[in-house]
Amino acid sequence: MAAVTAEQTNGQNPAVANGNDKRRVIIRTVGLKKTYLMKGVLTEALRGVDIEIFQREFIAVMGPSGSGKSTFFNMIGALDSPSVGRVFIDEVDVAQLTAEELAYLRCHKIGYIFQSYNLIKYMTALENVTTPMAFGGVMPDQARERGMSILEIVGLKDRWHHRPIEMSGGQQQRVAIARSLANNPSVLLCDEPTANLDLNTGQEILELLQRLNTEKGVTVICATHDHRMMNICDRLMWIRDGRIDRMADRSEVHIEIGTIE
Amino acid sequence: MKEIKIEEQPWLSLHRTIRITVDGIRYRLFRASVTVAVIVVAVAFLMNILSESLIKRSVAANTRERIQNARLIYAWSAKLTSPGSLESVVADLANNPPESAIIKEIQGFGDFSDREMTELRQQAAEISFVFSFFNGLDYAKRRSMIHTATGMGILNRLRTPVGREQFETALARIRSVHFDLPDEQLDALLEATPAVTAQLNKVLAARSRAIAAVNREVKNKDLLACLADADHRFGDVIRQAGFVFDSEKLAPTIAVQAQRLIDTLHLEKSMEERHCRQLIAQQANILPADVNVIMMWDYLDSGRFAGRYLERMASAGLDVTGLDAERLVSLARGRKENAALNMAARLTVDAGRGFLGLGERLAWLLFVSMLVCGIGITNAMMMSVTERFNEIATLKCLGALDGFIMLMFVLESCFMGIVGGAIGAFIGGIIGLGRMMAAFGVNFFNAIPVGDILLGMVVSVILGTLLAAVAAVVPSYKAARLAPMEAMRVE
Repeated sequence: MAAVTAEQTNGQNPAVANGNDKRRVIIRTVGLKKTYLMKGVLTEALRGVDIEIFQREFIAVMGPSGSGKSTFFNMIGALDSPSVGRVFIDEVDVAQLTAEELAYLRCHKIGYIFQSYNLIKYMTALENVTTPMAFGGVMPDQARERGMSILEIVGLKDRWHHRPIEMSGGQQQRVAIARSLANNPSVLLCDEPTANLDLNTGQEILELLQRLNTEKGVTVICATHDHRMMNICDRLMWIRDGRIDRMADRSEVHIEIGTIE
Repeated sequence: MKEIKIEEQPWLSLHRTIRITVDGIRYRLFRASVTVAVIVVAVAFLMNILSESLIKRSVAANTRERIQNARLIYAWSAKLTSPGSLESVVADLANNPPESAIIKEIQGFGDFSDREMTELRQQAAEISFVFSFFNGLDYAKRRSMIHTATGMGILNRLRTPVGREQFETALARIRSVHFDLPDEQLDALLEATPAVTAQLNKVLAARSRAIAAVNREVKNKDLLACLADADHRFGDVIRQAGFVFDSEKLAPTIAVQAQRLIDTLHLEKSMEERHCRQLIAQQANILPADVNVIMMWDYLDSGRFAGRYLERMASAGLDVTGLDAERLVSLARGRKENAALNMAARLTVDAGRGFLGLGERLAWLLFVSMLVCGIGITNAMMMSVTERFNEIATLKCLGALDGFIMLMFVLESCFMGIVGGAIGAFIGGIIGLGRMMAAFGVNFFNAIPVGDILLGMVVSVILGTLLAAVAAVVPSYKAARLAPMEAMRVE
């Protein structure tokens, strides 16, 4: 697989090479293990996860609480380092990066979307969106312009000057999505993005994510309990007891959901 | 497709950092204001003590001068009555600059050449040092070193072998006492003692002759009455006798003060008259027998009754030539001013000593209060950091560097330090000013060191800011080291 990836990195034009590009590995983990020392007891949160996530993929990660899902997320989001094993984000070993390079990676390559939105309370929607750009060194005027265009994508252009407290949950999550898109990331990491929302707004958020995935070509990795997610994702992944329990394409699973429904 | 290329994250500009920090403070204004209040209290305390000690110090200097001037008449009437002692001449020689009148006067009395005079002043300084060394000892130590000798007697005792031996052994035995004059210098001084004593005695003898000459002029009259004429003929008499008596400034001052003293004594004497007492007793609604001199001065100080009192004095058969209502009031006010001066002198005896002129106790108190304030700020910042775990972690997920987070919190604390420091310095300054004005009275208004106080305010603000910055270091470090995965945690 590594050989194929290398080949495709050399192949240029993304618009033309869309089909092949699909197979380009963006995140790869090798023997990922994580142990925590809690009250003198070693707890294994991950017991060896090997996975390859491709560019433009939409992956739903499912699993009960305590399954190691969050730990897995922290690992592939470059927020935590594994005890054993390696994480490659586009063939860059995360463990080799300095603090400044890690910050750069988080700022430019990965967009984070949280269950509780995590907007900065004292900033307006636009300021929230432009903050990652500021960290990335974009000039204020340019950042403002880009921020407005991103807010337009998520449909909140006219509410740019509102603070999080003045917006509904769905709107806040849309601002959070806009913020995660600020520096054109390759990967969107969503940690149960619809968990705090009602059915309709949750649906809207899902549709937004799907649109971003298909139109902008962003890789979306989504931890979720939301069964509607299965309908829009490319692949499904179940984690149980720190291991990958099951991987499946949407086509396979769809039938099962049908039976459940 | 986007090429993943890892670079180093750039630093956010200070301008943007400050903006984000200020926005954050504005959003949490209430919590910030509590922290600011802590800083205000600490800085106000600091500034209060600072301004009070500055004012005290300045008033002390001002008072010393004014008291010295106000007491010129006493100094001169003493001088024209008694030649003083050997020790007083030594003190005069040691404590005055070479150009001063008193030095010139001594040179004149002793008929010394300039070289002799310089040598004598040097010796006087050493003798004065020896005196102050022994005066600083407590009784037991002093007795074991020098027995009961005082003044020049100390030098004479040290000159005897017994005295010297006693001194040397006692000095070696008592470890806590250090005598800083080198041995050879002490030997030279003791060697010269008879000569110096002779010179000093010569000065005293000349002084006695001069006093006799002045007294021939005074004859049976009162010296005070003569001094009231000091700016005319009597001044010439004093000068002719050999005293250095400046006719330009000193003589008129002495004359005015002498006249004042005469009038004051005259007025206080009037209290012996029943008529005069009765007037004040009516006013105060008490028995005439209970009226005292202080009541009279208060009565006159009010200004409205001075004329009436003067009439009473005249009707009681007292001499009122040269007195009018205005003069009475001015005497009463002058007496009050003198009382205020004496009070100020008493209040400022401890001024200007120790750290920042604060004295050890206050400096310690100040240090503890700053420490308590610092811990308070640290606690507040710690709470702020804990409260904002989610925000900090999120910012780190968005690409914030550790340095940015740290700077953000230190800056936040600094801003609160500046605001709190400014408010505190202002409040403390006002309180200090008010308290000192209440203590010394408004006639010390021109003694307030405005420049020093403003400087003190600036120093207080800087200290407050520094304190806040230092107190924020640990919480900021904690915030900066926070793992970004905390952002994933759901509250």
